[in-house]
Amino acid sequence: MALSDDVARVSPDLPLRANLSALDNIALIPIYQGHFNVTESNRQALQLLAQLGHDDIASLRDSDMTPAQRFTTKLARGLILHRPRLVIDRPGAMLYDVPYPLFIRRLAGQADMTGTWEIFDFSWNQPLYSE
Amino acid sequence: MNFLAASIESLGAKIVGWFTVAYGMFAFLARAGLLLLDPTTWNRATFDVVIKQVYFTAVQILHIFLAYAVVISWLIISIILSTARDFGLSEFASEMTIRTLVLELLPFLTALFIALRSGSAINTEVALMKVNNELDALAHCKVPPMQFEFLPRLVGGVISVITLSALAGLLALLVGYLAIYGVNTAGFEPYTRTIAKILDFQILAGLVVKCVLFGLAVTLIPVTAGLETPKKLFMVPVSVLRGMMRVFLAIVAIEVVSLALKYI
Amino acid sequence: MNKMHFKVGLFAAASLLLTGAFLVYLLHARGFFERTYHLQLAAASADGVAPGVPVVFSGIQIGSVTSLGLNDRGGIIIRAEFLERNAKWLKENSTFTLDKPIVGGAKIRVESPDLDAPALPDNSTMLLLSSDISKEIPVLVERVKAILANVEHLTRKDGEIHGTLANVQTLTGRMTGEYGMLEGLLGSPEKARAVTDSLDKTRALITKLDAMTAKTDQWLYAQDGVAQQVRLMLNDAQASLKKADELMANVVEISADVKEGTQDVAALRAEIDDAVRKANALVNEINKKWPFARDPEVKLP
Repeated sequence: MALSDDVARVSPDLPLRANLSALDNIALIPIYQGHFNVTESNRQALQLLAQLGHDDIASLRDSDMTPAQRFTTKLARGLILHRPRLVIDRPGAMLYDVPYPLFIRRLAGQADMTGTWEIFDFSWNQPLYSE
Repeated sequence: MNFLAASIESLGAKIVGWFTVAYGMFAFLARAGLLLLDPTTWNRATFDVVIKQVYFTAVQILHIFLAYAVVISWLIISIILSTARDFGLSEFASEMTIRTLVLELLPFLTALFIALRSGSAINTEVALMKVNNELDALAHCKVPPMQFEFLPRLVGGVISVITLSALAGLLALLVGYLAIYGVNTAGFEPYTRTIAKILDFQILAGLVVKCVLFGLAVTLIPVTAGLETPKKLFMVPVSVLRGMMRVFLAIVAIEVVSLALKYI
Repeated sequence: MNKMHFKVGLFAAASLLLTGAFLVYLLHARGFFERTYHLQLAAASADGVAPGVPVVFSGIQIGSVTSLGLNDRGGIIIRAEFLERNAKWLKENSTFTLDKPIVGGAKIRVESPDLDAPALPDNSTMLLLSSDISKEIPVLVERVKAILANVEHLTRKDGEIHGTLANVQTLTGRMTGEYGMLEGLLGSPEKARAVTDSLDKTRALITKLDAMTAKTDQWLYAQDGVAQQVRLMLNDAQASLKKADELMANVVEISADVKEGTQDVAALRAEIDDAVRKANALVNEINKKWPFARDPEVKLP
């Protein structure tokens, strides 16, 4: 899927860095992109996680998270990129333990993002979203 | 005839393969070197990874490594001393000790130690990152893997090999003194003279350059070998195997070249 | 506080401190904080000398050769460098010798017989002597051979010494016969008996023979000594030849008294004297320079 730089992707093809905690995975981005210092970046990352209702997973690594927690971390990583479009790629492949359309909708309500969220999913999952 | 052609072809393929590997390695090294000079590289995150790398490569194993250095030094010095006494050459014993241990054996063993411990770990980790798409994810997030993952490993490896070799060398000098002169200050003058005679500026600079090359070999080669891994999980062991083989060859080659430069 | 950062910091600080201390120690050991003394050595030959060749005093290196060069008149100038703390061993009456041992590298040996002598000033020029043992050994061996050949020549079966000894032996054989010394002197028992009949006539002769017998006895004991000693090692050559010298002195006296023996005893005597003198000097030299060869396998015939 060729997407330009203004798209933040949440995809099963883009895993978290395995030896970093959820917080570090998110804080990495402000450090490298916004050239914030570590304390400020950690604060931003923690704030974002708290906003999504998952500040308890900050110290967990990829292998210790449930699929929902992993998805939330990936989403936070996408959000902190501050790109105008957010694309969620095949959410069913990442959120197989929760009714995911509802879960995503709830997260979207918690996050204050100005851009658009787009979900790419298989056509046979269409009925799930209409509930 | 067919057999001959086939073997020539396979030889050519091997040579091309080696050249590709070597080119990839040096191109990678050149990029790393350029980034090293780039001030934007040196943010807090890179620095943290360097510290982490030094911690895992050098500090965590320090006590084991130093114990091992003492045992090896003690053994080698005892062998040199008794042999030298048997042949009536005990005046050369301290010189031989310093030359074999401090200049050659300990840096070599340090490099092997770090290659076995950290080199293999780096190779596996980079291979897994590659296979798991973590590198693509980092690239998508505009976190440069070179600065975030690879350069700190190179820097940490070089720092670790230099410091551990230096510490082992100092320890070997101490052990050598104790073995030759015992616990007293009587031998301080002649020992100092021997040390001063051997360790001139050129030799020390050569030692540092050798340690830097060792440090690069035990980190750069595993990183590039890991990056070459095809995106198949079962290729990870193969990648580690190839990388470690290259590391070993590189360490031996560096040692042989340094010996040749010094004594030929 | 981050424990990992603390450990890495401690490690880095300790390593830097140790390395720094070692570098300062090394700079001190290499004399970075000291003045260096320079010395020029004029030598006839710079064979085996190269930059780095040590200058030793009492077996301990105190300096080293830095460069080699030629002066305006084509002489060899060897420049050496010393640390200030080692320069105190260089005195105005110090001698500098170039040593080239059979095993090991060349070195310049400094000997300062009088440590109270005034110190050698910086940049002075001294003479470098050469003591190349490896070169002298063949010469030494040649000289030993020549002397041994000489001794062999003197002691050969039909040689002068043998002739003299044979004559003396005949004489003494006769002295032990029935009529003792008279037989020895007169040649046969019959003649001796005739002589005993007229003691008065021969009184003067007997008196003369008494003196000779004493000398001959002395010589006979000495002969045994020679026969044994001659088979001893080169170290004993000196003693043997001294005994031979005594022996020859006796032989000369005997010969003069009895008017027998070789005509050129004086020439023979001179030759042996010469050999003894040479061997003496040689043995001294060998003892001095060849301490590991206490038992040279060189046998006299």
